[in-house]
Amino acid sequence: MTQTLIDVRLTVNGEPVEHAVEPRRSLVDFLRHDLGLTGTHVGCEQGVCGMCTVLLDGEPIKSCIMLAVQADGAEITTTEALNGEELHPAQRAFKEAHGLQCGYCTPAFILTSVALRERGLDIPREELKEELAGVLCRCTGYQNILTAVETYLAADD
Amino acid sequence: MKPAPFAYERAASADEAVAMLDRYQGDARLLAGGQSLVPLLNMRLMQPEAVIDVNRIPDLDGVREDNGHVRIGALARYSAIEWSPIVGARLPLLSEIVRYIGDRQVRTRGTIGGSLAHADPTGEMALAALALDATIVVQSPTGTREIAARDFFLGPYFTVLEPADMVVEVRFPHHTMVTAFAEHARRHGDFCVISVAALGEPDGDAGWKTVRLAVGGASHRPFVADEASAALSNTALEPDAVEAAGAACVEAAEPSDDIRASADYRAHLLPIYVRRVLDQMKARRSQGAT
Repeated sequence: MTQTLIDVRLTVNGEPVEHAVEPRRSLVDFLRHDLGLTGTHVGCEQGVCGMCTVLLDGEPIKSCIMLAVQADGAEITTTEALNGEELHPAQRAFKEAHGLQCGYCTPAFILTSVALRERGLDIPREELKEELAGVLCRCTGYQNILTAVETYLAADD
Repeated sequence: MKPAPFAYERAASADEAVAMLDRYQGDARLLAGGQSLVPLLNMRLMQPEAVIDVNRIPDLDGVREDNGHVRIGALARYSAIEWSPIVGARLPLLSEIVRYIGDRQVRTRGTIGGSLAHADPTGEMALAALALDATIVVQSPTGTREIAARDFFLGPYFTVLEPADMVVEVRFPHHTMVTAFAEHARRHGDFCVISVAALGEPDGDAGWKTVRLAVGGASHRPFVADEASAALSNTALEPDAVEAAGAACVEAAEPSDDIRASADYRAHLLPIYVRRVLDQMKARRSQGAT
């Protein structure tokens, strides 16, 4: 069955993007396959594992359970937005605290942390666990991830 | 795991959304936050002809006070409810319960209207609506009507909503009762195995005038445990009253086996969680919290 394509216009990592997509295209497939932004990972495709976390207008969402057509007019931030000459402060904190092993979940944790920092709250470790609970990690046991996020949230830069 | 093809419609108003629903004659689904619908589409457990996106409808996401009620628009996101000062001040039970829904990512997107229409029997929002005696405002092609939360849920993923109905608002009456909530889930943020909410109106030094218990996960739909509530009203929540309430909840429940727990285990947990939630309610009263 051929699907009617729908035009979407949105901002991805500060750049305007125009594309025609099938209605059933998930946002994560749009980012990865249509835009080539493969830093956003795919895990369960049912909104459980959080690997596909991106920021929608600054707030973390799971891009496997949002349709690309829904992002029309939105501002999407993926892990590629943090690329630069030097490591982003969140990336540096994860590196220094050994907050990753295989790295598959890392973009999701980092973007969730960036949104947390935007909220500007002083979050105790117990609440931090709540805030990060939407992303699963199968390697680390989470302790170093928590330390990395705490370090990043407390850093001056 | 990709959805089957569907037509995508975007409604600019609730009137337009219900007109579209009417046109598809039951073969369209409303897309609000999508945190339940899109997984079902991805797994092809649902293959509607059309998905009608209601996210662009203006003025449907507000939280406001009005004449003894808190009125929450159907498109209000869980995070907005969680962070709303009005909800925090007027409906602390709702503020508390909403934090048990999914995780931060889910709460960024999920909506109160979508959650109620989806009617997951373990859903925390449905339990909150029942416990807080909410009224659900529903729009259809012929007008709007108000449905009490306790008349709304019929079974698992099944409500009194007709195919061309849309939830547009949820109204919660103000109350001054002490509240408490407890749930058991296998993993943090997972669907609950069982959940219990309690509200009580203090009476005298240690007595309780009216007590209301609502139970989730223990039947094909969440329910207000009337017999158990009656067993607790006009008591001081003495151990025998609490035990009677736990037994009455088990009697009223129709637990089933599923991937998360057996029916027997749910029945085992129920009186334990009734006791815990009542202990919490008593503790909060003595701490001066309402």
